[in-house]
Amino acid sequence: MHPIEALKALERDAVDAIDSASDSDRLEDVRVEYLGRKDGRISAILRGLGAMDPTERPAVGQEANRVKDVVSTRLQGRLDDLTTADSGSAVDLTLPGRERWRGGWHPITRVVDEIWSIFRELGFTRARGPEADTEWYNFEALNTPLDHPAADEQDTLYLVDSVLLRSHTSPVQMRTMEAYEPPIRIIAPGWVYRRDTYDATHTPAFQQIEGLVVDEGITFVDFKATLAEFARRFWGPGTRIRFRPSFFPFTEPSAEVDVKRVIARPDGTSFETDWIEIMGSGMVDPNVIENAGYDSERYRGFAFGMGPGRIAMLKYGVTDLRAFFDNDVRFLSQFAS
Amino acid sequence: MNISLRWIRDMVAGLEGDAEAIAARLALRGAPVDGIEAPGEGLADIVVGRVVTAEPHPNADRLRLCTVDGGDGLKQVVCGAPNVTAGAFYPFAPIGSVLPGDFTIKKAKIRGEVSEGMLCSAKELGLGVDHEGIMTLPGEYAPGSSFIEAMGLDDVTLDVEVTANRGDLLSHVGVARELATAGSEPVLPDVPDAPTIAPEYVSDAAEVSRNGITIRIEAPELCARYMGAVLRGVQIGSSPAWLQERLRGAGARPINNVVDATNYVMLELGQPLHAFNLSRLADQSIVVRQPRGSELIEPFMTLDGEERTLSADMLMICDADRPVAVGGVMGGENSQVDDTTRDILLECAWFDPRSIRKTRNALGISTDASYRFERGVDREQQRRALERAISVILATAGGALDGPVLDVDTNPWEATHLRLRLARIEAVLGVPFRATRVRELLSPLGFEVGDEDDGALDVRVPGFRDHDVTREIDLIEEVARSHGYDAFPDELGPYRPGSVPDNPLFQLEDELRDHLSARGLFETQTPAFVPPGEGDVEVANPLNSREPWLRRRLLPSLLRRLQRNLAHGNRDVRLFELGTSFARQGPGEAPRERAHLAAVLTGRRSPPHWSEPEQPLDVWDLKALATAVAEVAYRGAAAVRPAHEAGATFVQGFSFEILDGDGGVVGSAGRIPDARLDIPVWAGDVWGLEVALPDPVPTPREVVDVPLPQHPGSDRDLALVVGRGVAVGDVVRAVEDAGGTLLRQVTVFDVYQGEGLESGARSVALRLRFQAPDRTLKDKEVDRGVASVLKQLEEELGVRQRG
Repeated sequence: MHPIEALKALERDAVDAIDSASDSDRLEDVRVEYLGRKDGRISAILRGLGAMDPTERPAVGQEANRVKDVVSTRLQGRLDDLTTADSGSAVDLTLPGRERWRGGWHPITRVVDEIWSIFRELGFTRARGPEADTEWYNFEALNTPLDHPAADEQDTLYLVDSVLLRSHTSPVQMRTMEAYEPPIRIIAPGWVYRRDTYDATHTPAFQQIEGLVVDEGITFVDFKATLAEFARRFWGPGTRIRFRPSFFPFTEPSAEVDVKRVIARPDGTSFETDWIEIMGSGMVDPNVIENAGYDSERYRGFAFGMGPGRIAMLKYGVTDLRAFFDNDVRFLSQFAS
Repeated sequence: MNISLRWIRDMVAGLEGDAEAIAARLALRGAPVDGIEAPGEGLADIVVGRVVTAEPHPNADRLRLCTVDGGDGLKQVVCGAPNVTAGAFYPFAPIGSVLPGDFTIKKAKIRGEVSEGMLCSAKELGLGVDHEGIMTLPGEYAPGSSFIEAMGLDDVTLDVEVTANRGDLLSHVGVARELATAGSEPVLPDVPDAPTIAPEYVSDAAEVSRNGITIRIEAPELCARYMGAVLRGVQIGSSPAWLQERLRGAGARPINNVVDATNYVMLELGQPLHAFNLSRLADQSIVVRQPRGSELIEPFMTLDGEERTLSADMLMICDADRPVAVGGVMGGENSQVDDTTRDILLECAWFDPRSIRKTRNALGISTDASYRFERGVDREQQRRALERAISVILATAGGALDGPVLDVDTNPWEATHLRLRLARIEAVLGVPFRATRVRELLSPLGFEVGDEDDGALDVRVPGFRDHDVTREIDLIEEVARSHGYDAFPDELGPYRPGSVPDNPLFQLEDELRDHLSARGLFETQTPAFVPPGEGDVEVANPLNSREPWLRRRLLPSLLRRLQRNLAHGNRDVRLFELGTSFARQGPGEAPRERAHLAAVLTGRRSPPHWSEPEQPLDVWDLKALATAVAEVAYRGAAAVRPAHEAGATFVQGFSFEILDGDGGVVGSAGRIPDARLDIPVWAGDVWGLEVALPDPVPTPREVVDVPLPQHPGSDRDLALVVGRGVAVGDVVRAVEDAGGTLLRQVTVFDVYQGEGLESGARSVALRLRFQAPDRTLKDKEVDRGVASVLKQLEEELGVRQRG
């Protein structure tokens, strides 16, 4: 038989064998019989090409390769069919998959983390201090005499004598300045305590994030620029930022930072919110710099404080602060990772 | 501070903008407006109507048919109010007018009669609740005149938030100053019918006595100055409409003409004043001193009818015999001005802010007067304030000023002068300011700026600002504020990295959050306050007396959250919290704080799936969690082992201890006893753990790669009979000890108890993997390893292979 005829016959046999193989083991036998590297029938023909008449060699080679392709394609197709039939065609794949429990960070921690990630990019590190602190660190070192209205004991929770639960994270300012030399560039997230009852916007304990920068040559422009940069990154492009004069005993000049956000609706339209107060801030008062043992003519700085709880309310549209402390898993799972 | 916009407009010539615009300007000056109240808003169309006739409606018993003069001819109006009376005046909404709520009045036919307009009730005008139908107006008016003008409702009240440093803004003149433009001082509005007065003053540093009146200061450190003016023949009565409207516009309630006059001046200039009933002052004397003797025992009744206990450090205004007022806080009932009072002594004084604060704190009150004295009152303008008050009283209550004003001034005021360096302004603000610009910015605020000398300016601080402007930096703030914070650039410049390392506890906490979230737990946050029994650090002045302690452990409050979740029907609850534990130290010392992690779990191991039965979380889930948490928290150097004693927290036999690398107990885990929980019957077992985080936080473990073995290992399975009282943990340890370096891994893959075994014994199946890094092990080597393992087990624990 002419080799090309032989190849065509071989193709017919192979296709029959493939189509009649009843499972993947049989199919493997077929594969070995025709395409096996050592003894495969097609491989044998290809190997015999060298001994063939050179004028016939190209045509036979070409045909052998074609047959080889046809057989292997058919083999693969049949294998796919058999595999599906073996294990799958009976399974209803619309049934639900196997889940794992999901957990997640608390929404307020998420906000703290988001704020931290922005300040980290702006060269800040994180510092911490005790939650029970002294009148000195909480008030006096911060240029707030104890008989000043700003140090109203009505609002402060005391433990013993001059030890209190810090009413803000600002004591970390002094503690950090005492422990390190400028340049200082920190934020300090943590719990603070006030003599408040629980309502929709107050709890006797809540979180704050303090910030402090102290170095030579720090100006009001650096202060504004850093906080404006933060606000734009946190609240998104299009956010308008307003610095408004205010009063804190430990900063001067002092400012409240307000933002006006642009909120996009799902239908593609958007609207602008009212001005929202997000931070108290200011240039560090020279008395505070001096209390830290630094020379206030040489070093200046700025400080700021914000409430991640309040920010979380705004960000997630939560209307009652107490939801954050009820810790209902249905509430928490909205923030699942 | 409630500010009457009309009052402000009367003070600041040419003040532009509506209430919203003015509120926005004040916000940018540091005095944000919390609320705007405009009672007359939406009532511009309403006029005063006079009812000419009021007859019964021919077709309805309860309606009346009226003719109303609304200034635009007589109109027929159907009215349902029982109190409509011919001859009286009412608010009238003519045809085409719009009422609050966008309700337009149209010509209508009511029960067959035409009605051309509406007589209105207070409720319909948004002015209050009706008592007797339509709103009867109290006076005589021209029909058709504007209702809001007739009723003085055209004023707008701004609720201005004043920061603690700006006592000067607790007055209309102070707020007006922030709105006035350069070169235009606010002017005080004319007082109608006020006589011109030019009182004579008699001054001394300690005591003045004249005209039968004596004033003496015995406590000069608490009261720097005390002025008294005697007004005789006043007639106590209601204040005229203009004064009442002024007060209402500023949120104050009119009382009588004398009290209203003192309130008026306080609201206008910020100087609190007090009027004494002169006839009640023994010896017509005022002695400013601290209470003593029996005064410290007998209660003192203040104007509000409360009995107050005095203490020796308070400051009292006394007559010759007894206290008659708590200085700068509240007058006494014993010297109160009443309807029959004819002669008054008008006080205008300056009290030490700290003393006022202490006194009013001790008394537990805050008054308009104490609030202002605490924040500093303008000492420069005190005579002006007193004279203003005298004028208003003479204009509204009559009478005459009798004799000179007695002015005891222990320490005459002098203006503060500050040196303001131009270079320092630039250093702080980052933008240069020239002397002329500084002058332009500070002058409107009342500062007098001298000529430039050696790069600095001399600045005179006015009396109304010398409480908060005492240093150069205070002036620099005024420069920035006046220039406008928005006018400064905000481009980010280069900065030096800080010297403070990132606190590793934050990093550790974040790692734990990630780990536990990935294991399906939710982070919670709970305040640190707990009920008695859960802490040993007590809050001295708690507001919530049910939770006066600071928590020693996080687990109890976390369990309360879990219970709450179960009560809400949440069956699968897995929570964790990172927070501070407080522990009592020595007496008078701050508590010791330590960061803790706690977790609680109940419910199913995984979300239900149709392919398999539900499985509850069990002790093995807890053990794995505790182990993982301890390893993350202690950077690998930690262990979890069964606790011999469960304590009260956990169920005996279901609890673990968590140990740090030195073997110290740093935490525990276990099943929470049902008795400690208040949970529904359908709830599953509750598991909990709490661990103290390492202090200091160890540095993260360095990962060093160990090359993977190049040669295959051999596994051998052993079925062992483990007798009663022998722990599998000990078996595994013994195997590891005996297996030598070639034994790489021991896995427990089955535990069986029951038939074919002695009571209490267990069959434990172990898989041992032997492997060498450099060669394929021969069977003989593995056999030797297994043999030595079996030998050791038999000798040490009596454990044998199952036959």
